[in-house]
Amino acid sequence: MENLISYLVKSLVDEPDLVNITEVPQEEATTYEVRVAPNDLGKVIGKQGRIANALRTVAKAAAKKDKRKIYVEIIA
Amino acid sequence: MSETETDVMPITATDTAGEGTDPANMKPEVQEALTLMTEVCEAIGGGIYPEITSLKGDYLTVDLAGGDTAETWGKAGRSLDALQFLCNLLLARRIQSHLRLSLDADNYRERRTEALTEKAREIAQLVKDGDEEAVMEALPAHERRIVHAALMGDEEIETYSEGEEPNRRIVIAPKRNR
Repeated sequence: MENLISYLVKSLVDEPDLVNITEVPQEEATTYEVRVAPNDLGKVIGKQGRIANALRTVAKAAAKKDKRKIYVEIIA
Repeated sequence: MSETETDVMPITATDTAGEGTDPANMKPEVQEALTLMTEVCEAIGGGIYPEITSLKGDYLTVDLAGGDTAETWGKAGRSLDALQFLCNLLLARRIQSHLRLSLDADNYRERRTEALTEKAREIAQLVKDGDEEAVMEALPAHERRIVHAALMGDEEIETYSEGEEPNRRIVIAPKRNR
């Protein structure tokens, strides 16, 4: 899962080297905290959060096979 | 070991897919799109892989195959649409041409086109019966195109879209004589 989120986020930004994904496992779900360069924030959020929402939808769909609830949070 | 893993080539393009999709003679932008989809599928994991099904104008249709694609991507259109939206963003960053990806899984697009067409005709009938316009649920651009096309030949009604993405909706209205 981290693979997929990392691949997508790094492909969206101008500074892939500054992308950091932290996996935070909880009892019921796993949260993936996404950090990017300040100038790249807009590229992973998008107008009205469209890109961020698409990232969440895709990650959730891909996580179905692991039978695991996941959240994707973009940390500013 | 399932037989699909042994008898299917991971990357295929049949000669019916259209000009420029033959692996030996692929246009650079189509090659780039296929590379992108191969990377995306590898990142998703679970043995899924891309297959080019057609190239019509600027639209390259890629089918997601293998693994649990039918279950995961072929049922909920929202997931497939979100993946398609992201893949087109990534593709636009890599190529200069207007090539667009249309993703499919387990024939979802065909089923969805049939369902949307049927629904559009049902609503059109209600609009005619009640002589009052109706607003459909918000749809992505490629699905609105299906609805417009489905009702294009109907002389008694007209269709147009209103609102901003991603909440743009189709209005089906009785055609007034002007």
